[in-house]
Amino acid sequence: MAKEIERAGIPVAVISALYSLALTTGAPRVVRGARIEHVCGNPRLSAEKDRDYGMRIIMTALKSLQTNVTGPTLFDPEVEMAGMAV
Amino acid sequence: MPAPFEVVNYVNQFFAGQGGEERANQPVVVAEGPMGSARGLQQHLGGAGVIVGTIYGGDNYVNEERATAFDAIAAGIRKLAPDVVVAGPAFNAGRYGLACAEVCRIARDMGIPSVTAMFPENPGVLSYKRDTLVIPTSESPAGMAAAQKELARLAVRLARKEELGPAAAEGYLPRGIRMLGYREAPAASRAVAMLIQKMNGKPFRTELPLEMPEVVKPAAPIVDMARTRLALVTSGGLVPKGNPDKLPGGPSDVWFSYPIGGLPTMTSDRWESVHVGFYTNIVNQNPNYVVPLNLVRELAGRGVIGSVYDRYLSTSGRGTSVSVSKCIGTEMAAELKANKVDACLLVAT
Repeated sequence: MAKEIERAGIPVAVISALYSLALTTGAPRVVRGARIEHVCGNPRLSAEKDRDYGMRIIMTALKSLQTNVTGPTLFDPEVEMAGMAV
Repeated sequence: MPAPFEVVNYVNQFFAGQGGEERANQPVVVAEGPMGSARGLQQHLGGAGVIVGTIYGGDNYVNEERATAFDAIAAGIRKLAPDVVVAGPAFNAGRYGLACAEVCRIARDMGIPSVTAMFPENPGVLSYKRDTLVIPTSESPAGMAAAQKELARLAVRLARKEELGPAAAEGYLPRGIRMLGYREAPAASRAVAMLIQKMNGKPFRTELPLEMPEVVKPAAPIVDMARTRLALVTSGGLVPKGNPDKLPGGPSDVWFSYPIGGLPTMTSDRWESVHVGFYTNIVNQNPNYVVPLNLVRELAGRGVIGSVYDRYLSTSGRGTSVSVSKCIGTEMAAELKANKVDACLLVAT
């Protein structure tokens, strides 16, 4: 799906806990999500920390959309947003 | 008669008899002897092979806690010291197929021959395509007996260290490996014979199946995020409560878009996930986990992004084939383009 949308000229940040699979299928911009059952956050955290955690993932996704990539590329929030405020 | 060879069978939590999605986070367990579906495999092995252990793990766990899970699986295989490792059969269960491919890789790294079985569209087929022996199975577990019969047959050959012939002859999925061999007729004769068949509309078999890898040139990156219209897309099967358009739980050949204009966040009273491939309890309580509307609204409010497209796009990704996904993607792209969307977040479960 993502590749077809990219083909139309719209960059897509694929956010998935199964990032290896997303990379194998050839999606160019892959963002490591939390878990299958809660991709963009963590329900075990307090509301505030959950929001921070999710926001890191979304900000990483935005970063990937602004990055020139030549092939399947992983963007890991732990790396991209290390020490940054959200 | 030679002594029976020893086998370890990897299965998931469901086929180990431990439960369904509610046990998908089950850590790896190394059990002695055949458990769950491994008992069926033992029957097919007969006296030729004995299953000395069953290793099982939850489908979420093995895919999410990769390092810990793989270490535990490796330790289990080392402890049981089998002659052959059999993983699955996984049919079209995607997470299970991915796990099976990893189990075979672990065995391979330890120098132990391995074989797995799954439906050809299972994403696990892609993981280590050139290195993994994959027997094609039916899509559903209705084909369990046939799959285990084939697994047993190949396991025996691997245990005997017999060299396997080409995929078509041996019954495993082609891996894209070409070996030197001998053909009866010269190439020119074979080519002409093939051409005559083709010109007469008769069936012929190519000697070189061309598998074009689908490489797509990535779209140009966004230059000015503050002026970007961002759309939310998901394959997590999120729909309005009651599923008015009857989106299938997966596989799905349809998709829908739903209005979210003016909504600050996704709430449990209005939305639900119909995806049948994962435990949707958490997403149903907080749909923002697959359609992160609350977070993108905040970013729009702060001026980090320009705007949020006032609809989100949804389908169910479980078991949806590559070709169908391609169609859905093309159709989604059309709606996005028509509505001047500049970039997307696609949340996959």
